[in-house]
Amino acid sequence: MPRFALAIPAWAWLAIFFVAPVAMVVWFSFGYKPGIFGTHANDVLSFDRYLEALSPTFFSTFLNTLWIGLAGTALCLLIGLPVAYWMAVKAPPSRRGLLIALVLVPFWTNFLVRTIGWQVILAPEGWLSTLLQDVGLIGGPLDILYTRSAVLIGVVYNYLPLMILPLFVAFDRVGTPVREASKDLGAGRWRTFLRVTLPLARPGVIAGVLLVFIPLMGDYITATVLGGAKGNMVGQLVASQFQAAQNWALGSAMAVMLILVIMVTVAVGALVVWLVMLPIRSRNRLVLGDAPAAATGGDRASEAARESEEVLS
Amino acid sequence: MSSATTEATTGTLPNAAEAKGTVVLDGVTKRYGQATAVDGVSLTVQPGEFISLLGPSGCGKTTTLRMIAGFEVPDAGDIRISGRSVQNIPPYRRDVNTVFQAYALFPHMSVAENVAYGLQQRRTPKAQLREQVVEALDLVQMRRFADRKPAQLSGGQQQRVALARALVNRPAVLLLDEPLGALDRQLREEMQLELKLLQSRVGITFVFVTHDQGEALSMSDRIAIMRDGRIEQLADADTIYARPASAYVAAFVGQQNFFRGRVAEGGAAVDSPHALVRGIRSELGEGQQGQAAVRPEFVEIAADVADGRSPADALDAVNSVRGTVIGVAHLGETMQYLVGLGDDQSLIVRRPTPEAPDLAVGDAVVCSWKAASVLLFASDDAASAGGYVAPPTL
Repeated sequence: MPRFALAIPAWAWLAIFFVAPVAMVVWFSFGYKPGIFGTHANDVLSFDRYLEALSPTFFSTFLNTLWIGLAGTALCLLIGLPVAYWMAVKAPPSRRGLLIALVLVPFWTNFLVRTIGWQVILAPEGWLSTLLQDVGLIGGPLDILYTRSAVLIGVVYNYLPLMILPLFVAFDRVGTPVREASKDLGAGRWRTFLRVTLPLARPGVIAGVLLVFIPLMGDYITATVLGGAKGNMVGQLVASQFQAAQNWALGSAMAVMLILVIMVTVAVGALVVWLVMLPIRSRNRLVLGDAPAAATGGDRASEAARESEEVLS
Repeated sequence: MSSATTEATTGTLPNAAEAKGTVVLDGVTKRYGQATAVDGVSLTVQPGEFISLLGPSGCGKTTTLRMIAGFEVPDAGDIRISGRSVQNIPPYRRDVNTVFQAYALFPHMSVAENVAYGLQQRRTPKAQLREQVVEALDLVQMRRFADRKPAQLSGGQQQRVALARALVNRPAVLLLDEPLGALDRQLREEMQLELKLLQSRVGITFVFVTHDQGEALSMSDRIAIMRDGRIEQLADADTIYARPASAYVAAFVGQQNFFRGRVAEGGAAVDSPHALVRGIRSELGEGQQGQAAVRPEFVEIAADVADGRSPADALDAVNSVRGTVIGVAHLGETMQYLVGLGDDQSLIVRRPTPEAPDLAVGDAVVCSWKAASVLLFASDDAASAGGYVAPPTL
């Protein structure tokens, strides 16, 4: 039996349930809607559906989705980092199981139910509104439900566990010894975090960001329940094109556009982070190069050669 | 270079009598819940001294080291480094560096970057930093591997990098937490020699934690033998070997044959069921329970001659026992015999290989030793020491 044979079921699964549907969506996106009763036709191929998807009405929804996606991911990261760090490093090890359970339990509740829960909390006549008015923080009733802010609160709440868990695992794997070594060598808490803990937890940060950002961009339940007309997301558009408007061609074009937006955003984000890190990395970098055969340290010529090498690197 | 560290420290003024590199523990105690890990340890380490904390696991040696490094805070007592109390001073502002048990190298940095880390924290100018890193790597002969990642190095090489990473900072005190524990035997013995040479070259105070008595004996100026959070004996290797303060120390350092019984002859002997073991007169009271200890290397062994004129009579031997060889083992430089004396009592005898008699299992033998080789102790729980629990099997 060839070695790849064991992988056949997985490949078959991916081909049938992932590649094929995506290929169909891409194919539909080049077609059009033939009359009131048809959903799609592909006898004439064009990019017209993409132009339609990018028309001003829909384009603002794309921008809105991207804004919520970026802000939501950033907020999850901002909240998740200290929580995960605390759970992995500071909390007593005997409490860990409990803490992980506390992060996970809301996650086991039905997605729709816990989102609707926020409708109750954020309502103008809800208890949060009353409380904030009583305290005097706001003048009138809370006016946040059915806005972009409500969607943002909802997605941060819904996706936070997906950020905390990979971060927790990553921080946990960094371990105490290297952090102690860093402090032993004269680095305070922040420097230890920035130069040892965070770089070593990088895979967890990347996993968390992708796990939150990608599904969040395609989310449509949160936006439907909390967003109303002002907090639209692309997921809602796609759903309405497939269901209400019965225009599969346009819906497909929107779905493909969304995939492209996600891919480009991830690529641009990676590039930006890389560029920002460039000067920091080069500052901490130390390349000595190959030692001369007789490593006496007195060889001036090779010393100079190493100097220039460092300038280049 | 260390001025930044010391200037930043607040608290008591430096004690003029304690020079740079002095470590003073003054009644240091550390508790974890009900358990007392370190129980009122007092110890003064001289500048440039190589001191070992030796003991079985759980004796408090690592906790003591971690308190000097600043990773644990004592519940009572005071620690002074270079004459200055380090209470409330975090690890990153203490003039000490640690070589960790599992090295704890930064896996995402190259060897050179690992070594440079401490200097970077003090904002050492880049040219000077390069010079010092190269110097430190040369010191441990790791210059060739400067640009490798720790994962690409063997255990011994990682150990050298960990050493260079600590030494490059020129700390007043270097703390070593079983740094050779993860190496195989041959490499470990090599590194012991190198470490000792290195220490005399750099002249830094070394506080070395180990459970390996051979390591402690071969490297240290003084050894503190710890037991249940206390120092049982603090002395140089010769003293600890020749005049152990207690049966525990005697059993932990090297091997001992113990004979238990009633103290006889005015405190100069122990009357065990198998032999009256005579030693030098001690303070033990006649009639109390005591134990006599003799090291395997101090026992002579010869084949028993049937006519009763055994070779033992020719020796100045006040102690001799008859027995049967029940095991012979070749240990390289020495031969080891296990001699059964009847019941469960057995005797370990070790002779240098060139002069070892040719004996086989089942041979009748006479074993003898001088009174001066015998140590007499009050009866206590020496058996709980790591060194001697049950007669070893060959």
